[in-house]
Amino acid sequence: MDALINQLPTGLAIGAVLLLAALGLNFTFGQMGVINMAHGELIMIGAYTAYVLHAWIGLNPAYSLLIALPVAFTITGTLGWLLELSVIRHFYGRPLDTLLLTFGIGMILQQGARDTFGAPNVDVPAPAWLTGGITLTGGIRIHYSRLFILALAIACVIAIAYHLNRSRHGRQMRAVIHNRDLAAISGINTRKVDATTFFIGSGLAGIAGVALTLIGPTGPTLGTNYIVDAFLVVVVGGLGQLRGTVLAAFTLGILNATVEAWADASLAKLIVFAAIIAFLQARPQGLFTVKTRALT
Amino acid sequence: MNTPTPHLSVRGLSAGYGRARVLFDIDLTIEPGTIACVMGRNGVGKTTLLNTITGLITPTTGTITHNGTDITHLAPHHRTRRGIAYAPQGHDTFAPLTVAENLHVTHQATRRGGPELIDAALARFPRLQPLLHRKAALLSGGQAQQLAIARALVTNPSLLVLDEPTEGIQPNIVAEIEAAITDTAAQGITILLVEQYLDVALRLADTVTVIDAGRIIHTGPRTELTHESAHALMAI
Ligand SMILES: Nc1ncnc2c1ncn2[C@@H]1O[C@H](COP(=O)(O)OP(=O)(O)OP(=O)(O)O)[C@@H](O)[C@H]1O
Ligand SMILES: [Mg+2]
Repeated sequence: MDALINQLPTGLAIGAVLLLAALGLNFTFGQMGVINMAHGELIMIGAYTAYVLHAWIGLNPAYSLLIALPVAFTITGTLGWLLELSVIRHFYGRPLDTLLLTFGIGMILQQGARDTFGAPNVDVPAPAWLTGGITLTGGIRIHYSRLFILALAIACVIAIAYHLNRSRHGRQMRAVIHNRDLAAISGINTRKVDATTFFIGSGLAGIAGVALTLIGPTGPTLGTNYIVDAFLVVVVGGLGQLRGTVLAAFTLGILNATVEAWADASLAKLIVFAAIIAFLQARPQGLFTVKTRALT
Repeated sequence: MNTPTPHLSVRGLSAGYGRARVLFDIDLTIEPGTIACVMGRNGVGKTTLLNTITGLITPTTGTITHNGTDITHLAPHHRTRRGIAYAPQGHDTFAPLTVAENLHVTHQATRRGGPELIDAALARFPRLQPLLHRKAALLSGGQAQQLAIARALVTNPSLLVLDEPTEGIQPNIVAEIEAAITDTAAQGITILLVEQYLDVALRLADTVTVIDAGRIIHTGPRTELTHESAHALMAI
């Protein structure tokens, strides 16, 4: 129990990053059935964006983080959009080809990062207003940076919920996810919706990357550490399901952090994988699915 | 010179799924403002024909002309935007969206008129009015079919394509749907209807086309058919 309580803040922060990574994946996977293996590298590029703004452009650390968020969103969003337009679009309905192709693109992006920034990890200092933390009764210490990541993830979820339910593109997205043919004969340009979805989903990867600079060092393989977990969140949470993704991300984050507190990292992974396989045996459709009368 | 252009003209159309050929050399002409009814037994290719006309399937040969324009290779959303509305078989709706969202997303995407189109569609199907904020997934079959037709009507179509709108629906709702089809036709909208119930088809149709095994085996004005001769055609 102690382990759980002590690891709770870290677990929540990791869960929040997983959530940001998985939200984007859920869109591209849920809407287009595309397994974008380069999504992890978009996270990495988001993290390096924060680094470049601080170390190369020399922005004041006090506000460099806040500027990095929209800049990373735009950069990785544009990259994802270009990726969809130039490559992925031509491989819809061929999941294995897409998987290998985006895996290759991910490798190229990693090498590009290695050539540009060097193989060793770099650090992005947190702004002064995020150092320190609060100590709760019972001796649990919560870093402000962890709280910031949590708040960032919550803000993104609210923004996405608003987008999905209130905006024109959001409604079209939900229509395309549900039934692409019906969307097309309803006058929706599904190709255009796909491109916009890829932009938003990839942009969220950039935000996840910026958040990760607050948790640890940044390196070319940063994304690969999170991509598998992010996919697990998508599968467990259910496709196109915001609630499920949120719940799955935090559960996985906390599970990872607590199991790691009393087992070593690889054993922890094994235990978490086993738990997920057991869960998917019981509920292959994920936590939540769309209610239909046919199912009830 | 002065022969009016047909509203829809299909010439030498063949289509299928991958290697499986389903439709062979289909010719179909629909005059403006008429109700054309396509009939035939299960699996003969009626839905495939409608899917090809609305652009969901690309034909292997043949042409489709709408109001004099060749639309054979036009994307489905462009066909909807030029006035071809489609309510597919099985009262398909956007299940996770509310009734209101189903209508709005279609209305906004097609951009063929103002909000009065939504009011008109709801006036046409008043049963949908109290359900506006309910998810389409939770509608009954009859309600979903009404939403499916309303969703097609908010695109302000010149051609309304309906695939078995009365399939599996209780008699009093069938009567309402029939009335909606008659009213829509009375507004001058051309209708292409696939209908399995002989009674309904013969009440509504101006022309009747019968398909068997992917080929047209009969086409002509409704007046040429008696209940018995139609029944005989369907039993082939
Ligand atoms: N997606 C598909 N892939 C392969 N074959 C298909 C597909 N859809 C339909 N078919 C086949 O094409 C043929 C015609 O099907 P279609 O749905 O057009 O028939 P239909 O006349 O509409 O039948 P029903 O009265 O049952 O609705 C059938 O043999 C069917 O099995
Ligand atoms: Mg059919």
